[in-house]
Amino acid sequence: MKKVIIATALLSVSLFGAQATQFSMSKADRAMYQEMLENNPADIFVEEGGEFFDELIGEKDFAAFLGVSEKDLPKYIAGFPRYVKKIDMVAGLDQVMQAILAQKNEKPIKLKSKKMFSMLAYVKSLANEEKINLDVNADEHIKAAYALGKKVYETPRGGRGLACLSCHSQATVGLALRTQILPNLGAVNAGGTWPAYRMTKSSLRTLQRRFQGCMKNALLAVIPIGSPEMVALEVYVTNMAKGKEIAIPGLKR
Amino acid sequence: MKRRTFLKTIAATAPLVAVSTPTLLSAKATPKSPNAMDLKTALKAITGGKAVTDSDKIKLVVPEIAENGAVVPVKIHVTHPMEANNYVKTIHVFATQNVNVRCADVHLTPANGKGYFATRVKLAKSQDVMALVELSDGTFIKTQKPVKVTIGGCG
Amino acid sequence: MGKAIVKIKPKKYKVGDIVKVDFIAIHPMETGMRKDKKSGKIIPAKYIEDVEFFYNGKLFTKMDIWESTSTNPYLSVNLKITEPGEVKVTYKDNTGETGEKAKKIKPKAA
Repeated sequence: MKKVIIATALLSVSLFGAQATQFSMSKADRAMYQEMLENNPADIFVEEGGEFFDELIGEKDFAAFLGVSEKDLPKYIAGFPRYVKKIDMVAGLDQVMQAILAQKNEKPIKLKSKKMFSMLAYVKSLANEEKINLDVNADEHIKAAYALGKKVYETPRGGRGLACLSCHSQATVGLALRTQILPNLGAVNAGGTWPAYRMTKSSLRTLQRRFQGCMKNALLAVIPIGSPEMVALEVYVTNMAKGKEIAIPGLKR
Repeated sequence: MKRRTFLKTIAATAPLVAVSTPTLLSAKATPKSPNAMDLKTALKAITGGKAVTDSDKIKLVVPEIAENGAVVPVKIHVTHPMEANNYVKTIHVFATQNVNVRCADVHLTPANGKGYFATRVKLAKSQDVMALVELSDGTFIKTQKPVKVTIGGCG
Repeated sequence: MGKAIVKIKPKKYKVGDIVKVDFIAIHPMETGMRKDKKSGKIIPAKYIEDVEFFYNGKLFTKMDIWESTSTNPYLSVNLKITEPGEVKVTYKDNTGETGEKAKKIKPKAA
């Protein structure tokens, strides 16, 4: 398996070409985009998400469901996705909300809905400035999810035989792919800056949806949001940014 | 006649720019836009043919390379007083090669304190962004900068 | 019409200071040149066209906005602080829909 992965990676590297420098962002440009974070349209969606969340669930019930105090909630949120005992699965914050709504006999909200995206962003933003403290060794469940996530990340699939690893490995960081410089997913803090406002979509997007967009483009079968594989992938990628601060909403291309 | 109506009338009579340039937002040739207006026409409509001089009084800040064409930051600082009888009257922002070059016409007053405006614009392709400034004495100054738009990425 | 935000920067200011007034509105800013992927029909133009900034009821900035401005438009100008009160931003789009958002002005003691 390892041989296949390396071969794929090398093949991919040769495809990226050496135009990286012409597409790299200048310091001044980077500063301009950084400044845009201060006025992020997604702030409005996060605020709306907060209104929905407060109306339907509230921090008190959310913390109680997870078995933590309200005071400890932000730090606890910074460790997601987690194994949640009450639903006996490794889950994202959105899935926890679904479970609580079901428990309260409230109308279900789809994971793949604008409402849930905004609520997810809001709840995650409660952990802003907390460091990502996901612990992949905390219990057997998260251990298994991490292993599954790694497997999903590294398994070549689809017409081109690509895996996430093909374009997102140490070997490809800094190379240009379709005019965009490939990032180190840990260094750019993907785990801490999604959900984010995507400029090319002019909307609030989540990490799992971004994965789906990437899969589509790489001609891989899209994995459903909230599925064990997708949550596992989120665990794996979020862990790359362990120790980095959460800053929701982010701002992306 | 209100300014906006005046400009719209000009648009209706001006020859529409041949719209075969695909925009960022659609793959095929785009249909005509009711607001379609090229730079020459827009400048003429606003200045009435008056002289426009390039001026370094205008600091135009745009990225050299825009990561995407949908949201391109634009910042304009005009070094000029903002006093009752001497102030920056209007800042016009143009995406010089868009189907409708007009992005914003910002009418300031001395109450603003400074001749400043910032926004984000759509650029259909790599092009110059222009800031045209009208001062309260009726003179026009401008500056422009090229922005390269990279349309790419995966998803 | 979607929501809007008005922010004053910096957060602390006094009379005589020049602050930045940041306005963001949630609005599609449709150019009228895009086709709906499913139906193939043109999505009609819908964009904010007039924006007015008021300081304690007095108009201090008026903007004509066009569809070449980005979706969920961000508009920013300066304002010289002269007294406490309120900044209000009103906006109207080409279909006649309107919206507004206000922000209190509370200068600190000099």
